[in-house]
Amino acid sequence: MTVSRRKFLQGATAGALLGPTLFNHALVRRSLANAIGNRYLVVIFLDGGNDGVNTITPIDDGGATLRQAYDAHRDTGGGGCNLPSGNLLSIGVDPISGANLGLHPSLQGLHDLHTQKSAVAFIQGCGYPDYDLSHDTSRAIWQSANRQGAPLPGGWVGRHLAGCYGPLDVPAVAVDYRLPADFGTNATSVLAINRLEYFGFPYDYYDGGDVAAKRAAFDAIHAEASGTGQAQFDYIGNSGASTLISSEAYPQLHDLYQGARPAWDAQYSALDTGLARDLREVAKMIYGVEESVPDVAARYFQCRTGGYDTHSGQGGEDPQGRHGTLHSELGDSLKVFYEDLEDMGVVDDVAVLVWSEFSRRIQQNNTGTDHGSQGPMLLIGGEVKGGIFGNHPNINAVALNGDGNTPYTQVAADPFRSTDFRDVYGSILKQWAGMTHNDVLTMMPLDSGAAADYWTVEDFDLDLFLP
Amino acid sequence: MGDENTALSTNEVRHVMRRTGFGAPPKDLDKLLKKVGYAPTRGNIAGELLSYKPKLFKPGGRESYTAHNKWVSYLQKPKSPLQEKLVLFWHDHFATQASVVGEMKIMRGQVRLLHEYAKGNFKDFVKEINRDAAMMEMLDTVRNRKAVPNENYSREVQELFTLGVEDFAGNPNYDQNDVSQVARAFTGWDYEYPKGTAYFDTDQHDFAIDFPSRGPKVLFQTHGGFGPAGRDFAVGGEGEPEIDTVTDILFDHTDTDGDNTIARRITRRLLRFFCHDDYANPGPAEIAIIDQIIADSGFATTWDLAALYRTIFVHDVFFETSGVAPYGVATKKAVKWPVDYFISTLRLTGMKLRTRDKRVLGGSYDGAFGHLTQMGQVLLEPPSVFGWNWDTDWISSSTLLARYRFARDIVAARGSGRFRPDKLIDLELTDPGQIVDAVGDSLGIPDQVTAAERQIYIAYLTDNGANPTLDLGDDDVLNTKLHGLYALIMQSPAFQLH
Repeated sequence: MTVSRRKFLQGATAGALLGPTLFNHALVRRSLANAIGNRYLVVIFLDGGNDGVNTITPIDDGGATLRQAYDAHRDTGGGGCNLPSGNLLSIGVDPISGANLGLHPSLQGLHDLHTQKSAVAFIQGCGYPDYDLSHDTSRAIWQSANRQGAPLPGGWVGRHLAGCYGPLDVPAVAVDYRLPADFGTNATSVLAINRLEYFGFPYDYYDGGDVAAKRAAFDAIHAEASGTGQAQFDYIGNSGASTLISSEAYPQLHDLYQGARPAWDAQYSALDTGLARDLREVAKMIYGVEESVPDVAARYFQCRTGGYDTHSGQGGEDPQGRHGTLHSELGDSLKVFYEDLEDMGVVDDVAVLVWSEFSRRIQQNNTGTDHGSQGPMLLIGGEVKGGIFGNHPNINAVALNGDGNTPYTQVAADPFRSTDFRDVYGSILKQWAGMTHNDVLTMMPLDSGAAADYWTVEDFDLDLFLP
Repeated sequence: MGDENTALSTNEVRHVMRRTGFGAPPKDLDKLLKKVGYAPTRGNIAGELLSYKPKLFKPGGRESYTAHNKWVSYLQKPKSPLQEKLVLFWHDHFATQASVVGEMKIMRGQVRLLHEYAKGNFKDFVKEINRDAAMMEMLDTVRNRKAVPNENYSREVQELFTLGVEDFAGNPNYDQNDVSQVARAFTGWDYEYPKGTAYFDTDQHDFAIDFPSRGPKVLFQTHGGFGPAGRDFAVGGEGEPEIDTVTDILFDHTDTDGDNTIARRITRRLLRFFCHDDYANPGPAEIAIIDQIIADSGFATTWDLAALYRTIFVHDVFFETSGVAPYGVATKKAVKWPVDYFISTLRLTGMKLRTRDKRVLGGSYDGAFGHLTQMGQVLLEPPSVFGWNWDTDWISSSTLLARYRFARDIVAARGSGRFRPDKLIDLELTDPGQIVDAVGDSLGIPDQVTAAERQIYIAYLTDNGANPTLDLGDDDVLNTKLHGLYALIMQSPAFQLH
């Protein structure tokens, strides 16, 4: 009567044993609306507040005094966070101040994508008015992208998905146990899949020919729950149903990728970092979509990598220091991911956005840095227009707020004018994900207030992509 | 309006057990009922549960993996389920990560502290946490020196442990200057490694005379109801006393409604924990209940947590989630925490964690650590200082599969350490409806299965009526249908909630 585990699982994942779904919430289908077309968007969250000043650092003063200011705030001694200018990886010139800018030496992988592929947009000085220094609050502001307007549900990606997809679609997957708030929406299904390999539905190995009955009962129980109108029952009923159906489609992507792309698989393994492993899961899913695997249609992905809250032991340019280790994890895994996609022939259809909830204090504390305001975002992809966007934050002591952070400003003549992160989101949604200007503005309303201090004029036309 | 004399039905006692402990196994239910002479009221049940003498448990082990497993093992048969439920709440509140702390000796010390103060005086609790070695390591108090103050702890003690960022009216409770000033008060504190005893180092303390540019040692000139003068925290003497003076000031902080800020926030969080998610963002009705519970318990003056819990446990609000099926739009429920799901499932099915990696000898090779990682709650490793996200944030396709997998592992356990439904229900039963009821009873949720769900389970047992009675003496029927029914119920939405 018993079926071997392996044989059983093969049967279960292929769906052959199970027959058609009895459940009317068929949540996995190819997407109806194709706003993003055949493209993909990958969002990477650097959790904890990445030190932007030690990500993109002034090499010299240019026409201002950026390097002097940097050296005044960042110690060179033991435990200091100073990055000597000679070892920074040059990426170009700050547009207005004219200072030469360089990356932390541990961002070699990212620098390679810049020099070899011209595939990195370095978007400087990203922030928002009245910046908040709480991780939680600031993260929520970035994820919802709706601070001052009437409360809108969900996150910025979630509201976009809600406009393009229905309850029958699964357009997005977070490589995580949890669902990220920026992907939050009730209108369509977002999966959290930590590892595809283990995403199969767990039936008892003692089969007895009972699996179809078990599946039908599970289906019916969840359909029943999702019809009660009770908030948690509805939610778990819907989530359980989409989990069941997706669990029959997604796990095979692991074997498919490993079988077809063993050399690339090994490259991620060699890096041996969390982000590399997470991006490999994204690569498996993109490969699955490209190979037209049935019921796999995700186009939006999220990865999260933590450890950026470097209050102490941040390290300067030491590759083994905390920030150095994080930077090599980021740069190296992005490089392998990019080259993998390039080899698949899909790199021109992928854009990767990297963000963090805030940057860090310009003046270091004894061995680290406290919470700060604006910092850089990164956009990477085959169709991304490489180069420097926005201005380096003004880190001169006289320019800093009482709390030691660079103020947000929209004064047009200011050589250090900030970039509002909503302009970056908006440009991506408009130019990459096919939303109209007005739709973007509706889901991400402007602030009210003085034009110099708030985000009152949108610019969804940052020139981030190749024509 | 009920009060402490309100009689409880058996199902309501089950509810109390689910919310204050880890499920309502029939034996434990009977034990509790017996203690109150089979005449349960809100008051006598609450009194019984709160009568525990704190057991100062601390998980041993050199690594957080081992300590995690020891803690989880202890939860299978704790001296007081309520004490452990409270400790989980405070572990989330004072979230500290063993991986950041590094030394398990001091991490253990914090777990012991949580056990000691879980139903103690909240103001004393915060004062102890301020000096807790693991917390000093986690939030950099040990790196907070006079030359360059480190604001990490100063911010979080206000934002997370006491006041919160904003009050109920949406107004800020403190500003950056308050963060900088509180950081000054905490300069100079350190602990003896690896014992963890806190001490004060005068040489590393920020004395006002040395740092005139940092302004006077005054807090809350714009927030907290102290008026433009704020509160001087050097008034009790500069140096060592400041850490407690600052804490006393925090506990005097009032919000823009003129109510005590900490009392309101802690009560709100406890109501969210013990009741439901309406207390994540309370409206006027919820705020009225919060204020009433504070007034009834005297919490804003005594800071006595036991009195606060007791007031909650006899209040109508605590019974709002006790609803009996069927459910509708107005029904309140809350999602079980993963540790709650894991432990109550073990206790209800009579399964024990075995081997060094603490696993059910069932379907997968995952131990307690693996299961709880996948469910999204590893003890001693909250995701950050913010602790875990609750309610539906516990639920994703990934964490649901992890719960399904654990339920499967239990029913798939055969051979030594096998699943023993014969110890849970009467295997002589043949009527499918009676079998469903008995299984629901053994899982402590007879009141939580709707009539429609019951019909689905019956249809499953009978293969849609093809086999109208069951012979559970037949191994094949037992192993497919009865094991299968247990898994289905443990995987059902109702079982994820309480």
